[in-house]
Amino acid sequence: MMKKFMNKPEDLTKELLEGLAMANEDILELIDGNLVVNKKLKDADRVTVVTLGGTGHEPALQGFVGEGMVDIAVCGDIFAAPGPESCLKALEMADKGKGVLFVVLNHAGDMLTANLTMKAAKEKNLNVIKVVTQEDITTAPRDDADNRRGFVGCVPVYKIAGGAALQGKTLEEVAAIAQDFADNMGAISVSLTGATHPVTGGSLAVLEDDEMGVGMGQHGEGGGYKIPMKTSAETVELLMDELLKDLDVKEGEKLMCIVNGCGATTLMEMLITYRDAVNLLKTKNIEVVANMVGEILTVQETGGYQLFIARMNEELLSYWKEPSNTPYYKS
Amino acid sequence: MVISELTYVTRCKHECNTENYHMSKVDGVDMKITIIEFQKMLVAASSALNEKIDEFSRIDSLYGDGDHGVTMERISKEIAATSEMEFDSISEMFKDLGKRVMNVHGGSAGPLYGMIFDGFGDGLKGVVEASRDDIHSMFKGALESFSIVSNAKEGDKTMMDVLIVACRKADESKEELPEYLIEIGKAAIDGAERTKEFQAKFGRARFHKEATIGTMDAGACSLATLISGLSEGF
Repeated sequence: MMKKFMNKPEDLTKELLEGLAMANEDILELIDGNLVVNKKLKDADRVTVVTLGGTGHEPALQGFVGEGMVDIAVCGDIFAAPGPESCLKALEMADKGKGVLFVVLNHAGDMLTANLTMKAAKEKNLNVIKVVTQEDITTAPRDDADNRRGFVGCVPVYKIAGGAALQGKTLEEVAAIAQDFADNMGAISVSLTGATHPVTGGSLAVLEDDEMGVGMGQHGEGGGYKIPMKTSAETVELLMDELLKDLDVKEGEKLMCIVNGCGATTLMEMLITYRDAVNLLKTKNIEVVANMVGEILTVQETGGYQLFIARMNEELLSYWKEPSNTPYYKS
Repeated sequence: MVISELTYVTRCKHECNTENYHMSKVDGVDMKITIIEFQKMLVAASSALNEKIDEFSRIDSLYGDGDHGVTMERISKEIAATSEMEFDSISEMFKDLGKRVMNVHGGSAGPLYGMIFDGFGDGLKGVVEASRDDIHSMFKGALESFSIVSNAKEGDKTMMDVLIVACRKADESKEELPEYLIEIGKAAIDGAERTKEFQAKFGRARFHKEATIGTMDAGACSLATLISGLSEGF
């Protein structure tokens, strides 16, 4: 049974975007009903960042619009990509003469729209480079990245690319930096409880009281397996082993580590999870030099989290440390 | 097929106002489809889709995220709206519909259906009244256009399984209109039924691997409903 504070299901996206704009008048504005735009975009004399995706994953994606991260987020509907027309408009608006980085998560609808948008952008001679994020390690091996889904990794990519843009890098440089970072990230999910689709009221994933799902997708879809419930430290060990193996992380390396709560997992659990992750990495002589802990890219009230790591170096860290001012990430 | 009130109103309006739009139904061989007839077909297809909205979401909820019906309802509204609009040509009508559908913000279904309607428009370029051969070209146009955005092959459990089977029937059938169109509609339904035997290779469902065998593909189900709806509206 669905129990959510909402008005008409068909107005969910419209109303949540209006709310976001009202709550952050100093940072962003809503244009055309589905373009969430950085208010400082008009003065931007740098490479800009545009992304697209469905809603229902708050605070992502549109909650990271602002100086230092995303300049325009093109929003679709609940879990559904927007059409190419509004993406093309966003790219045109965002190009301030230095070009646009177009960050796309690897999901069927997002990719279809992005490809059609890129085709149209080429015909219009827009200066755009597309970077695809596909870091879910469970659905395919690393050399078959096209079959890897985009998880929370898009958010640090916004931050790294946004930071590089603030440092005055060219579009080619920003794209190479973002791509290099994206090529060196990995994520895996664990879920405890499913969620309801806010429009249809249907269940997104079903798990028994004593089991957890490892490797499920952004919307509770399969790809993983179910195992009996474990403690935080045991769960982290299981997930981190997979991640380190996949990314071939060696002793002495420096990592970014993100614990992304999926919607119903408490900050208490996320902090314990992060502590367990850092402690585990310490025993392997791996240092965490950047992090995010909290709800970043959620799936409604799904219980569980995504554990994310990415290889870091001094250069990436300098982009990461650039200031950013968005509704849900400030630094 | 139950003729909806909207269909009835549309037909009356057109029959009163535009005499030269009547089909020539002297005998089967000469039968042609006018822009008004296409608009009626689209209204019929929209009604057929509307009857199955919940079914689309139910199928999608098994191995997707359960909202295919939500998107199809929006696409269906765009399809129905076509009958209330005016166009210079059949081709332009389908291309405009393709553009509207592509931009409903409905995930992959928007661009996929958008390309099908755009392809119908390509296949009917320059056609004033569509003959049997023009209908053949209309479906070939859709397959060509769809192939730009989908790499799926027959048996991958996607909308392609319906489109390929419908096009094959359009290639092979010896029937004339209207039976020709009805045969294509039936083939589309068969194509969707057959997806039950396949394992998903595309979209979110592919991550469920062999568990998808036994269930129809949601997109194939909606596309077959659309094509057979079109054929029954004629």
